[in-house]
Amino acid sequence: MAKQFEPKIVSFLCNWCSYAGADLAGTSRITYPQNIRIIRVPCSGRVDPLFVVKAFLDGADGVMILGCHPGDCHYQQGNYYAQRRYSIMHKLLDFTGIESGRLFVDWVSASEGKKFAEVVTKFTEQVKELGPMVLNGNEKFLEEKLQEAVA
Amino acid sequence: MTSMDVQIRKTAKKYLDEGKVSCVIGYERDSRGRVRPAFIEKPEDADHLIWSSECSLNLVTYLHQRKLSPGKDQPVPKTAVVVRPCDVRAVNLLFAEEQIKRENIKLIGLTCAGTEINGQQRINCKFCQERVPVIYDVLIESDQPIEIPTDKDIYADLEEMESWTAEERLAFWTKEFDRCIRCYACRQACPGCYCFECVAEQVDPHWTSIALDKPEKMFFHVMRAYHLAGRCVGCDACEAACPMDIPLSKLNRKIAKEILDMFDYRTGDTPEDAPLLTCFNPDERLRT
Repeated sequence: MAKQFEPKIVSFLCNWCSYAGADLAGTSRITYPQNIRIIRVPCSGRVDPLFVVKAFLDGADGVMILGCHPGDCHYQQGNYYAQRRYSIMHKLLDFTGIESGRLFVDWVSASEGKKFAEVVTKFTEQVKELGPMVLNGNEKFLEEKLQEAVA
Repeated sequence: MTSMDVQIRKTAKKYLDEGKVSCVIGYERDSRGRVRPAFIEKPEDADHLIWSSECSLNLVTYLHQRKLSPGKDQPVPKTAVVVRPCDVRAVNLLFAEEQIKRENIKLIGLTCAGTEINGQQRINCKFCQERVPVIYDVLIESDQPIEIPTDKDIYADLEEMESWTAEERLAFWTKEFDRCIRCYACRQACPGCYCFECVAEQVDPHWTSIALDKPEKMFFHVMRAYHLAGRCVGCDACEAACPMDIPLSKLNRKIAKEILDMFDYRTGDTPEDAPLLTCFNPDERLRT
């Protein structure tokens, strides 16, 4: 039987909402895909876009950033900054050829354990569909794609 | 000697004579006739200054080294700089980011009829709709007729790339970035790149190695483009400086285009505008 592609997803969860939301999903025994690797950050505003680029270039197939809902940030405004940053980051990644569907930003509160499981499931399915990240060691494949585009 | 040269020299001499500035940054010709930046500190040297269509450098970059006070009781060096309409937006950016103070800078603004490199019109001049600086202390009118290009479709090349698949775009950029020799000329030429320690060279945290492999090059270029998001003024100094002809301005213009579309923001319109990513509007929603 062919082995199914299991994406590696790096997820940055804000300490105050989404991390607690993930915890609630766990204590409520809600199942969700095991593809995510959780990194706890103090705030979604702490997630430097460099973290995202670095994750992709070091082999992640998807990156997920979850924070508090707008207006609910523990630090009042961190998620508003994050929101602006990732609106631009999506466009830049897409333009450089990393599908914007590989980056996912959403808001999950501490009481939304169910929503946490849902977004993880949805995003994992989405990345599975996009397939493995094509970045390194695919010169021939990329050359063919470029020829197609120019032709 | 053109009438513009005369006026630039006269202004520079006046500023230096009156002690308004300690240095005038402008253009001069070297012994082989090529244009290079000039740092004029004595009034009698002001006669070196010139202007021609070959003046394609962004002189605002040289303000970085002069931005800080040299010591406790020493005054911040006051500087005059010759600026084109595209450069002057970078001065506004530096004002907004509090890198330099308005009172320490004199701006010798030029109306610009366009510049060229090796006889070829520069890319940003091809689309430039703005021929008068948004801010200046002295304005020197161009002696050339100013023709604003009618080709307003400045995003045609970007739109073509947007119509490709993601894999095709990745292939394109992988190929372009593969030529990069990591010389950082793009960064040095950029008026917006003034970090004391660049991420590309930082050792702790070690973001990226100095290797010339594809991921490292990709990381450097995506990082560079992102760090200029909402800060790039579109002067194209990076692409002009690139010895490997990597189309860096495509990345910068793409981000500027999206920012104009999403936030209705253009860098360097006024000296007071806070940089886009240092503020927010609570009514905004995430756009993907």
